[in-house]
Amino acid sequence: MIHFDRFTLNNGLRVLVHQDNSTPIVTMNLLYNVGARDEDPNRTGFAHLFEHLMFGGSVNIPLYDEPLDRAGGENNAFTTNDITNYYLSLPKENIETGFWLESDRMLSLAFSQGNLGVQKSVVVEEFNQSYLNQPYGDAWLLLRPLAYKVHPYMWSTIGKEPQHIKDATLNDVKSFFFSHYAPNNAILCVSGNIEVDEVKRLAEKWFAPIPEREVKLRSLPKEPVQTEPRTLEVTRNVPYDSIYMAFHMCNRNHPDYPATDLITDLLSNGKSSRLFQNLVKERKLFSDINAFITGDVDDGLLVVTGRLVQDISFEEAQNEIFGELNRLKNEKVSEYELSKVVNKFESTFTFGLTSPLEKAFNLCYYEMLGDAGWLNSIVGQYRNVTIDDITRVAGSIFTPDNCSTLLYKAAR
Amino acid sequence: MKNELNRSVPPLVVLPENIKVPHAAEQKLDNGMPIFIVNSGEDPVCRIDVLLNAGSRYQQNNLEATATASLLSEGTTLNNSQQIAEFLDYHGSFIDLSADRDWGKVTLYCLEKYFERSIAMLAELVMQPIFPEKELKIWSERSKQKLTLELDRTSTLARQAFFNQLYGKNHPYGRFATPSDYNLLESNKLLSFHKKHFSFANSTIILSGSVGEMEFGIVNKYFGKEEWGGQNEPVYAPIAFNKPGIGLKFVEKKDAVQSAIRIGCRLIKRNHPEYPIMLIVNTILGGYFGSRLMKNIREEKGYTYGINSHIVTLRDDGFFVIGTEVGSQFTQLAIKEIRNEIERLRHEPVGESELQQVKSYMWGEALRSFNGPFAIADNVISLLNFNNLDYGFYDQLFKTIKEAKSENIMNAARKWLNVDEMVCCVAGSVNPEA
Repeated sequence: MIHFDRFTLNNGLRVLVHQDNSTPIVTMNLLYNVGARDEDPNRTGFAHLFEHLMFGGSVNIPLYDEPLDRAGGENNAFTTNDITNYYLSLPKENIETGFWLESDRMLSLAFSQGNLGVQKSVVVEEFNQSYLNQPYGDAWLLLRPLAYKVHPYMWSTIGKEPQHIKDATLNDVKSFFFSHYAPNNAILCVSGNIEVDEVKRLAEKWFAPIPEREVKLRSLPKEPVQTEPRTLEVTRNVPYDSIYMAFHMCNRNHPDYPATDLITDLLSNGKSSRLFQNLVKERKLFSDINAFITGDVDDGLLVVTGRLVQDISFEEAQNEIFGELNRLKNEKVSEYELSKVVNKFESTFTFGLTSPLEKAFNLCYYEMLGDAGWLNSIVGQYRNVTIDDITRVAGSIFTPDNCSTLLYKAAR
Repeated sequence: MKNELNRSVPPLVVLPENIKVPHAAEQKLDNGMPIFIVNSGEDPVCRIDVLLNAGSRYQQNNLEATATASLLSEGTTLNNSQQIAEFLDYHGSFIDLSADRDWGKVTLYCLEKYFERSIAMLAELVMQPIFPEKELKIWSERSKQKLTLELDRTSTLARQAFFNQLYGKNHPYGRFATPSDYNLLESNKLLSFHKKHFSFANSTIILSGSVGEMEFGIVNKYFGKEEWGGQNEPVYAPIAFNKPGIGLKFVEKKDAVQSAIRIGCRLIKRNHPEYPIMLIVNTILGGYFGSRLMKNIREEKGYTYGINSHIVTLRDDGFFVIGTEVGSQFTQLAIKEIRNEIERLRHEPVGESELQQVKSYMWGEALRSFNGPFAIADNVISLLNFNNLDYGFYDQLFKTIKEAKSENIMNAARKWLNVDEMVCCVAGSVNPEA
């Protein structure tokens, strides 16, 4: 049970507080409800580039990091297809520094041309480092547009191509800021050694004066049902063949989300899982195999990826994976096996919520989904998944027509 | 009447005067094995680490230490690989098995409610593995593929070249396994490595999380009753070092769009009196986001997504290393700027404002490093590894952070960081000397 308090400022900023006096630290997590899915298809990678720019100085504070260092703090941020999330932690004595810094960059940025130029270059190097200079690094850049034809999940947070980042102008940056960064489009959680009344006082002082803004309304096209198998084959200079199979699945708030998550756990969470025991250890077809869900807010993907053992053909690999997927559709999973994956989920969930920062982020995330309080009912939702749910959901997902397959062939 | 908020004035900053270092409770099991207990945290979770004199420095052939640790969970006298995996997954327990240069380490994470049965299983894995040939073969094939893939990354190539240069290709701290080494592993070799290195006399236990007297009793029941293992004395013996290599080493990787760069030199051990001041030197240069290298090479020039420097301590040595991946076209420029920044530290005193910033940052880091039971356990482990849990290390570190002056920093940089005696390894498509 994670206890928390919640209040909303007049400008629409939602604030959550989790008090934990066992730590000398206070953390702040600030989630903006904007991600790569909110980008113009011809200006992709923008939400993420923007995250970099948020560290380049705000309207009244020329440098973000330096005063935070001076207060003994640290910070970071990340961008996904759905959200942009900023977090920091400080010794409890100095938490007001966090309110000061975060509220000023919510108010407005410095919008410096020089900083934009450098950060464009930094992000292009990030593109190189993470996607181009790594074996299999571009797999997701290929898989997304194969699986999505209309929904903006068709591009990665880094963007479709480095040119989109190079083309960004200061005007683009300004308009992105004022249509997405606003108190009424953000959720703040303060967690750690601090009283609720103190958070109220500081939030009123620093965030309440920021005016509510007109946020660009999100109206994203729903990805149509896929009606035939899709396959893309590429050859790259990598040592082993790999296969990526992506199936469309439900959205984050759908009642079948927990069952879908558990299906991937049955398949590949832990060494006792089906794909690992049968296809890696028993049949020796793959050196590595994984099944997971993307966890997106809108309709997401269930993905199976495998690295083939030498001399195994793509056809055999694909057939054997489908064999395991079909078994989930056609044979009932045992009580034991279902309890096993639920137990493991509970344990992963519990271990994943031990630090003040993990608590703060998750509270913000569930509040964005609808209610921070859901965090306390998740394990129950997974416990309620039945054997029949698994069969039913597997049946609806695992069809060849719902599958986009990337065959990533080794040139050597 | 509301006062107008002046946002250009930062709130007053106060750093806590003292940092409380939580000590682990030190006890002994019945057989004399040391155990350190960190009982803290409000979550119903536990972690147990078994630290062993079983690193790769002790092996006769490449990969023996890693294979021995990794295969502990692949079959015991009582359970086969699948039964062990089922047990761990069903109880939501996680196990990490690893060997680095100095230490073998077995870590189990479990829910408090399954503590006893998890510990029973852990003891079985540590004391009674049988290393079945069949499992060894499967593991070897998979690991060989992983290593082959790793060797495709410029970062791996640069890192391996760095250790080769620094310590020598055949030195216990400098050598690396190749994919074909996996073909030479044999079950009986792992059994004998296990017999010699996995014993009560070579092990220390660190217990952390929601743990008390009851949990101590359980650990004692499974680990403390006998003099288990085939070795009654610790096997540790210090290793000797050659003169370190210096100069440039280029590893070509055609078509790479970035160059991986590693620059550094051998340095002091963690129990050296100048270690704390060198931590400050390192932080200024490349140890945090506001560092000079990050500012210069990322935030001003945009050559890279990131650049960092580290002081790494091994049991018998220590080294300093700067690491980055830069756009291929920036290779020479980046190396030049790295050299410039080291020279600047050696010849210009650090300004008061920057020094204060670094000190405050390090003070906050120190505070955070004791946040939560597992972070405290990590600190206990690193102290144990290097100086037998002498908490005086922290007093010295905190004192140095508070008192260090510009000239102390410049003197330390001059003494320990000499660019002309450093190793510079570059992996990529651009040879910086061409």
